[in-house]
Amino acid sequence: MTERSGSPSNSHAAVSLRGISKIFDDVTAVDNVDLDIADGEFFALLGPSGCGKTTTLRMIAGLEIPSAGSLQIFGEEVGPLPPNKRPVNTVFQNYALFPHMSVEDNVAFGLRMRKVDKAETARRVAEAISLVRMGGMEARRPAQLSGGQQQRVALARALVNRPKVLLLDEPLAALDLKLRQEMQFELKQLQREVGITFVFVTHDQEEALALSDRIGVMDGGRLLQVGTPEEMYDAPVDRFVADFIGRSNFLHGTLENSTTVCLSNGDRINVPVVDSDVIAVGDAVQVSLRPERVMVCDPHEVPEGHARLQGRVATVTFLGNSIVYHVQLDWMTVVVETDHRPDLRRRAVDDDVALWWRDDAIAVVRP
Amino acid sequence: MLIFLYAPIILLVVYSFSASRIPGQWGGFTSEWYVKLFEDPRIQRTIGVSIRVALVSTVISTMLGTMSALALERFKFRGKRVFDALLYLPIIIPDVTMAVMMLMFFTQAFDLLNLVFGIGLSKGFATIVVSHIAFNIAYVSVVVRARVAGMDATLEQAASDLYASRWQAFRYVTLPLIAPGVLGGALLAITLSLDDVVVTQFVAGPGSTTLPVYVFSLIRKGVTPTINAVSVIMLVASLILVAGSVGLQRASAARGRQQLRTTGGK
Repeated sequence: MTERSGSPSNSHAAVSLRGISKIFDDVTAVDNVDLDIADGEFFALLGPSGCGKTTTLRMIAGLEIPSAGSLQIFGEEVGPLPPNKRPVNTVFQNYALFPHMSVEDNVAFGLRMRKVDKAETARRVAEAISLVRMGGMEARRPAQLSGGQQQRVALARALVNRPKVLLLDEPLAALDLKLRQEMQFELKQLQREVGITFVFVTHDQEEALALSDRIGVMDGGRLLQVGTPEEMYDAPVDRFVADFIGRSNFLHGTLENSTTVCLSNGDRINVPVVDSDVIAVGDAVQVSLRPERVMVCDPHEVPEGHARLQGRVATVTFLGNSIVYHVQLDWMTVVVETDHRPDLRRRAVDDDVALWWRDDAIAVVRP
Repeated sequence: MLIFLYAPIILLVVYSFSASRIPGQWGGFTSEWYVKLFEDPRIQRTIGVSIRVALVSTVISTMLGTMSALALERFKFRGKRVFDALLYLPIIIPDVTMAVMMLMFFTQAFDLLNLVFGIGLSKGFATIVVSHIAFNIAYVSVVVRARVAGMDATLEQAASDLYASRWQAFRYVTLPLIAPGVLGGALLAITLSLDDVVVTQFVAGPGSTTLPVYVFSLIRKGVTPTINAVSVIMLVASLILVAGSVGLQRASAARGRQQLRTTGGK
């Protein structure tokens, strides 16, 4: 698997996956994943539904046993251990609060199962409840709480055990938009406060970009790329990653050498240096061109030394703060997004235009 | 319509208090049949047997039925579908068939045991209990399964994520949540056990007869006011059990609705 940012080098990553696979009957849900998550990191597993991200999380939790590979938590092999023998706790997607217990009993459950003494339990439960700002609600049943409050109780119920790693399965998916944004902020704050490694699964790229220190994008059971949100956006190595995180145009071509791509229309363009471990010279590649990084100008006005594409404006869409042009080239259509500002000339349908970009504004990706 | 349904019940209750020896003839009010009933040692004995059979078979069949319901709802295993289908057989099979099956089984089994170990076993309390367990497991399992199916399996995963062992997860999470189903199943089992005539008649031995079987044998000698009285007592007992079972299910359904309302409303 490919990682632009080298995996953390300390010997005991919080979570370390080596060659982890999970096969259900004859479906390979997770396919040979290698991943290191550093201590104290806020890590997102991002991907569409069915990509294997939840299965990966459940293997870390112990709710699924890997079919192959090694899974370590702080250097300790936990592959075949049941969930109750692992130093991790999970916040489930539907929260899975016990409906027959009060908020307080829900939060105390883990400590009681581990036979922590009563005074200590009471102290830690009160602490956890106040950490998630649920004071005064101790006697309520889960059914009497709103979605956001249930979410907080689920967090408290997990954090009270002081896990080494907290796993969150689509923690915000069940909340409405406004609450989701509030909870995003709270989650991030909470993670800083408690300093525990958070691993969370989401299909929402914005959530992943906003919350995490690093993101791993999965598709079809494979981990395609791992990196910081900026790396994932600026330098995707796989078309799927470029397409899933943000939007992009893809120009087909062939990698001629580590800094040159020959596009399928015959043009040669300069590209940021391509790691030969990721894509070999001579491979078919695609060049990812973010709509907001493409400049539009009159034909022949492209600044010296930049690649250019000639085309004609096919549609103009006004979006308030920006304008989206579909520019028809003779071999493909490119989507361009420009700011809507008085100093930028607005193009009309059928205008002849040239498109250009800075060499470092694009990324070469596997098709 | 209702006359067909309730007139016999009313007649039964009324004539159980009639002073006349001939059933169906009013001879003034008396409770003498009830007194006689409780003074009759045979009836006392059979009531005792009935209650003991009902309690033992209910406890065991509730445990086994709950276990099989959990196994069928929560686990995947080889032969699950076959087991599932077989479990429902006692509900479908006619009572008489069930009775003949059990009788043959016990006869053969006892013969074999006698042959191999030289133990001379005979029909009696134990054979009745085993037969009742055999048909009750199916009913309990059906009732409990409905409840287990309605319970979110991630709750058990959450318990185990929070350091609960399998047993603790069952004890503190699963059992409290399926308890209304288990109790409902137990009440159904106790009712079926107290009411059963056909199967019990085949597998009962000398000296261990249940109340319904004894009443049935009395009828062959003609209907007496005592039988009326016994019937009324059995009717009342059944009604109480059924009312209890319905009440439990109502209560748990109401709780479920309330939960839906409070979560849905916010």
